Amino acid sequence: MTLSPPESPPELAEPITPEPPATPAGTRKLDMVRVIKTFPARRKAKPVVAVGPVDIHVDQGELVCIVGTSGCGKSTLLNIAGGLETATMGDVSVDGEPVIGPGPDRGMVFQGYSLYPWKTVAENISFGLECQGVDRARRAERVKELLAIMDLVAFADRLPKELSGGMRQRVAIARALAPEPDILLLDEPFGSLDAQTKLAMQEFLLLVWQRTGATILMVTHDVEEALFLSQRVYVMHGRPGRVVEVVDVPFGRSRSTQVKRSPKFLDLRDEIQELFRQPLD
Amino acid sequence: MAAEGRGRRQSPVLRIRSELPMRWRAGLAVGGLAFVFLLWVWESSRSSGAVIVPSPADTWKAVTAAWSSGQLGKDFGASMGRIGLGYTISMAIGLVVGLLMGSFTSIESAVEAPVAFLRYIPATALTPLLLLWLGIGESPKVTLIVLGTVFFNTLMVADVVRAVPQELIKVSYTLGAGRLAVLRKVILPHSLPGVIDVARINLAAGWLMLVVAELLAAQSGLAYRIVQAQRFHQVDIMFAMLIVFGVIGVASDLVLRWLRNAAAPWARP
Repeated sequence: MTLSPPESPPELAEPITPEPPATPAGTRKLDMVRVIKTFPARRKAKPVVAVGPVDIHVDQGELVCIVGTSGCGKSTLLNIAGGLETATMGDVSVDGEPVIGPGPDRGMVFQGYSLYPWKTVAENISFGLECQGVDRARRAERVKELLAIMDLVAFADRLPKELSGGMRQRVAIARALAPEPDILLLDEPFGSLDAQTKLAMQEFLLLVWQRTGATILMVTHDVEEALFLSQRVYVMHGRPGRVVEVVDVPFGRSRSTQVKRSPKFLDLRDEIQELFRQPLD
Repeated sequence: MAAEGRGRRQSPVLRIRSELPMRWRAGLAVGGLAFVFLLWVWESSRSSGAVIVPSPADTWKAVTAAWSSGQLGKDFGASMGRIGLGYTISMAIGLVVGLLMGSFTSIESAVEAPVAFLRYIPATALTPLLLLWLGIGESPKVTLIVLGTVFFNTLMVADVVRAVPQELIKVSYTLGAGRLAVLRKVILPHSLPGVIDVARINLAAGWLMLVVAELLAAQSGLAYRIVQAQRFHQVDIMFAMLIVFGVIGVASDLVLRWLRNAAAPWARP
C-alpha cells in the first residue's frame, strides 16, 4: 500500500473502506527469523541475552498479538520490527525486504500516546504525510478520512491535552495509519487506559482493523486482550524471553465481547496463564 | 481536648500547595508589597548622617525629573541597546549549541567539559581583560553580557532539549521524519516554552553584567548614572535608577511569561 502520487486529482483519492490490498491476503508481511537480542556486557559480567531466539511472522491482513509478562522482551521485539532497535542476530524483513531502520511503512503506537502536544488532532495525524511531502490538499483529505474512521471529527482542532486517554490513543493510531503502513506495530496501546475505556478501545481496534484491512502486530501483557483481538497469539516467557507457545485463536474476524464468555476462550486463557506460572529460567 | 472527628483539619492558608482563592492571593501580594514599602518609608524617616535613604516621594520626584529632562530616556536607551544586542547574541548561541548538545551525545561530550570549565570563570573577572582588548566602546560591554550569560543559556537549553520525551522522537522516526525534521519539527517546538523560560531566568544575569560594564567604563546608561550621582551625593537619583532597574526587571519578566504562554499555549500550566 503506497500513497498514489500527489499530482493525482483529489476525486481519485482512496475510499474510506478497505483499499484493495497491494498484496493478496495471506502473503507474508513481517517475518522475524531466529531473532536474538543481547545487551552488552557490563564490567566483568557476560553479555545478557534478553530475547530469543524467536520466530514471529505476520501475514497480510492479520492481527497478531505477542503476550508476555513485563521484562520478557516483547517490546524489544516490537522495536526491532519497527527498526528502532537492531537485532543482535537473526533476520527481520517486511515484504521480503530487510528492516534496517524506522520508517513510515511500519507505523508504531506506544502506551504513552506520544502525541505532539503543540499540534492539534488534525495536525498530529497529518505529520507523517507532511514528512513524506504529500501535498496539502491530499493531506487534508486523508486526515478527514481518518478522523471519520476514528470518530474524532468533532475534535479535529483540539489539542491532545484536551482529550481523554482513549481519544488520545485513537489519534495516535490514526497518525500511524495515515501514511498507509504495511504493518501497524502497537506497544501496549491500551495499557494506561481504565478498564472500561480499554474494553471500548479493543472493540474499536477490531472495527478499524476490519474496515481498513490493516496488518497489525500488537504487544500486550493482557491475555484476554490478546485472545479477544488476535488471530494468533505468541506467548512469550522466560529469561531470555522466548516464544513458549503459539496459539491459533479460533474466533472469526468479527467478534463481540460475548466471545470472552465462551468455554473455548476461557480454556485458552487458562492454558496461557498456566504457561506464565512456569519458572522463568 | 475532645476529638471533634477523625483526621486533622488544616487551615486553608497554610496548607502545603493548597489552592487559594484569587482574592486571597491578590491580597497577600499587596500585603507583601506594602510591607516592603513601609519598611522603606520607615528607614527614610529615620535616616541621618551618612546613611541617607530618600523618601519614596523624593525618589519619585527624581524619577520624573530625570524623565522630563530626557536624561532617563537616553540612559534607558543606551542600557537597553547593550543588553538587547548582547543578550540576543547570547540566546542565539545558546539555542544553537544547546540544541545540538541536547540532541547529540557526541556533541555533548565534546562541548560539555570546556563549557563547564568556562562557566566557572566569573565573567565579571574578565572585565579588565575585555577593556584592554576591546577598548572602552560598546563592544566590551556587549561582549561581557554575552560571556556572562552564554554558558548558562547553553547548558540550560541543552537540559530543556534533553527533556523532549524519547518516545516522541522515536515515533517521529516511524512516521518518516529524518533527523533534520526531528530537530526542526519535534525538538524545537517542544523546547520552545522551555527556551523562553531559560531566557527569562538568565536575563537577570544579563542585567548584572550590564551594570558591571557600565559602572567601570561608560558615558551613558542607567548604571553609569548611578556612578555619576554618587559623585554628587545625589542619593535620590541613585534610588531612582534602582527603582527603574526593578521596574524593567519585573516588566521583562512579565513580557517573557506572556510570550511563553502566547507562543506555546499547549504548555500553559
